[in-house]
Amino acid sequence: MSGFTVDPWDPGYAAALAVENIAELGATSAELVLDIELQPDAWQPVTPAPDAVPPGTLLVADGVRRVDARVWVEDPGAPMPVPGIAASYAAGIVRCGPEGADLAAIEVNRTLISASPHTPEVKTPHATYHPSKAADASFEELSLALQRQVTQLEVDLAVRHRTTSDDLLLVDGPLRGRTHLPRTVGYIKTHHTAYLPPPQSSVVAALAPGQRTPVFLMGTSWRRHAWYVRLPVRSSAPWAGVARCEASAELEPAQVVRLADAVTLALPPLAGVDYKDPRAPQNLVPIGGLEKLLRHHLGDARLLYRSLRTAALG
Amino acid sequence: MTVNGAASPQAAAAAGGAQVTGEVVGRVLGTQAASPLSFWVGLEPGRVLQLDDVVVTRREVPGHGPVLVAGVVTTVEARHEGAAYDSDVFLIADGALPAAVVEVAEVRVTRVEPEVFVPPLPGSQVYLAGAGDRDQALYFDVMERRIPLGMGRDGQPLYVNFDFLDGTRGAHVSISGVSGVATKTSFATFLLYSIFNSGVLDAESANTKALIFSVKGEDLLFLDHDNTRLDQRARDGYARLGLPARAFGSVHVFAPPRPNDPNGVPHVAARTQGVSAFYWTLVEFCQEELLRFVFADADDERAGYSLLVGQVAARLKSWAEPIGDGGAVRVQGTTCRTFADLVEMLSDQLQEEDSRRDWTGAQTPLGTVNAFLRRLRSAVRPLSPIVRGDLPFYRSHSVSTSDAQVSIVDLHNLPERAQRFVVGVVLRGEFHRKESSGTAKPLLFVVLDELNKYAPREGDSPIKEILLDVAERGRSLGVILIGAQQTASEVERRIVSNSAVRVAGRLDPAEAARSEYGWMPPAVRERATIAKPGTMFVAQPEIPVPLAVAFPFPAWATRPAEAAPRPNDRPGDRTGARTSGDPFEGLPSAIEDDIPPF
Repeated sequence: MSGFTVDPWDPGYAAALAVENIAELGATSAELVLDIELQPDAWQPVTPAPDAVPPGTLLVADGVRRVDARVWVEDPGAPMPVPGIAASYAAGIVRCGPEGADLAAIEVNRTLISASPHTPEVKTPHATYHPSKAADASFEELSLALQRQVTQLEVDLAVRHRTTSDDLLLVDGPLRGRTHLPRTVGYIKTHHTAYLPPPQSSVVAALAPGQRTPVFLMGTSWRRHAWYVRLPVRSSAPWAGVARCEASAELEPAQVVRLADAVTLALPPLAGVDYKDPRAPQNLVPIGGLEKLLRHHLGDARLLYRSLRTAALG
Repeated sequence: MTVNGAASPQAAAAAGGAQVTGEVVGRVLGTQAASPLSFWVGLEPGRVLQLDDVVVTRREVPGHGPVLVAGVVTTVEARHEGAAYDSDVFLIADGALPAAVVEVAEVRVTRVEPEVFVPPLPGSQVYLAGAGDRDQALYFDVMERRIPLGMGRDGQPLYVNFDFLDGTRGAHVSISGVSGVATKTSFATFLLYSIFNSGVLDAESANTKALIFSVKGEDLLFLDHDNTRLDQRARDGYARLGLPARAFGSVHVFAPPRPNDPNGVPHVAARTQGVSAFYWTLVEFCQEELLRFVFADADDERAGYSLLVGQVAARLKSWAEPIGDGGAVRVQGTTCRTFADLVEMLSDQLQEEDSRRDWTGAQTPLGTVNAFLRRLRSAVRPLSPIVRGDLPFYRSHSVSTSDAQVSIVDLHNLPERAQRFVVGVVLRGEFHRKESSGTAKPLLFVVLDELNKYAPREGDSPIKEILLDVAERGRSLGVILIGAQQTASEVERRIVSNSAVRVAGRLDPAEAARSEYGWMPPAVRERATIAKPGTMFVAQPEIPVPLAVAFPFPAWATRPAEAAPRPNDRPGDRTGARTSGDPFEGLPSAIEDDIPPF
């Protein structure tokens, strides 16, 4: 016996849980320090200083995940099989420099997640799924467990790659465990929470493309420097084309300001166009390209699904 | 990913099992279906394949051992992988979008050895063919007698199997291409040179002859002069082909007599030695019934007087009596010394009520007789210089291939009507001579340009009959036609289809789309429309794809300015050619002959 069975339902079913939501959970009651760069009452859109230069080489890191199959893991201690997911995920780094954009690092992993301690390792002719354990059997928990692994892979990759390079690293999503990396900026394209109080948030709406808000410090258990940037966008909606950037809380104010200026100069040329990407302009072109590459590296979903079913039959 | 892992051990096994030569260029693609007849190759970064490169791959087939699949690159493509929109190219170039440049090549399989028709496996390594593999891929290893055609794109020699030229398994060459840039005549000349000098003729090299009808200027009149513009690179090219770089050894030029010259001096401006005039006496004209060749147009066949032509020719044959030694004739009491005299005499006789019956035999409508006469009179001007009764008879005046290895009939000074006459009469003469000799060897190569004029697809003419005879029976009689034409679609189908070796230079795009060029794959046809002078596509029965050949710069002069003087010309010699009794003809001569006296 293989120890698991594959659910005949399509793996995409009920997986439409917003992953970013899970990642941002618990971030609502953020503590704010607004006077890092400008006094709160003097807030206004900031144009990067004339002596600021964009980074020569920009590294962009991102990760993708895909549920290959929903499975039932047989657990001797449970009255019925425990639900689980078999998933593939990948993380990669793209180096955007004067010679073009190329893939600097990539890593693909596959995992079988369930709440059971008896989750087996699944070897198929095409890939091996390593077992891991989720807190409970709900799909949200399984998905969160997967997301943790993706994030961990992203962090590992960034840490490993960061040791050999001192270029600016742009991480898709919050910084999470990477705040200690030098010259590293988190890039958040969706806004679930309005962090700024009304007077300052009106400054965000007043940003012109290529401008940013002053740097502020936020967070409770995790503290980070942050600022908003407006990318070139055709829509005139107040928050259209606005992204949030994060940097380590340990940096000196002057360092953060320099970093913020460099990023603000670097981002607009990378902004996507709406007819090519529905998430434009926040979904940067290198991130879109990297995600496409990573998804490609995940392999053919139908092939993996079939091989999982074959493996389940023993 | 391990999806393509299945193929990797396979490739490794093949590499270990069979002798693999040459460098790895890439792997067989799996995104395009591979078949035993064609497959695609993804190139490794930094590796290049160009059109016409020869590649091989191997596959271990249970029960058969390693199977070699060899082919020729027919398409190469480069793409941005990961780009979805055309404008992505700018993002990729600016370094915003990660994408890979990928190069792929399509390979047309030429040979599967042993003949186990299995597709190469996706992921198998593909090698640029090394020396042995290349010969195998292009069947050079099984050609016992091969003629160098020129260089391939890889700078290595390409060959044609002589079995398909000398009649053993096939014969005749058809060369097509646009006038001026297709270098049809140059290629035909090089092919002759290659045949004579490559050593395949062995003992027959001295007696194998070529007859070239030259219709374009005096380019071909210096074949026996070294080319002063031949540089060391071209010399090296000849050396790699295994050919000496020198002029043709033995050339004789036949030119029509200069108009209005009482002595019949050949009408050639640029060449003074090894030239003789050709013409036919009125006696020969009557005895050999050459009148048919005066009416050699396709129009003449339609006009309905072909019966009358035959009758008049027969009467001339039986009634003409030679008078004097100048070739003049007396017919029915009238002395004719020129072609005009003969036509006048015929005109008088046919218009007279009583004598007409004698000439035509039966009742012939007057309209037909008049049409015949009108057409005959229009031939007086073009044919007068070459049908004579007023020149000293003792002079040799016929075109003969016995004087030299290469005989050139210079037609460029003659009007078209006379060109047809000459081609028809000379071809008939040589064909009959070979027919009566009874053996195919030694061979006679006939180079004839503008075949569409002499053997058009539509209509019938005496010349077309002869050419068809050559095409269909010449293989067994040892008469090999090297025909050239701008448009193969306008040449009699049976002549083109009888050609074992087909050659195309630069083609007109509209012409290249015709079915006559079905032997060229679409990509090659497209390329033929941009082919440079000196590049030809050669198809031979053994190799399923045409080979792109660059033939070397001629080692012989093609115009007076290039001609080096010939040290061994004997002044005053009428023929000027070395007699072909020399048993060392065609062999590499003493080294001092090869160095052109700059």
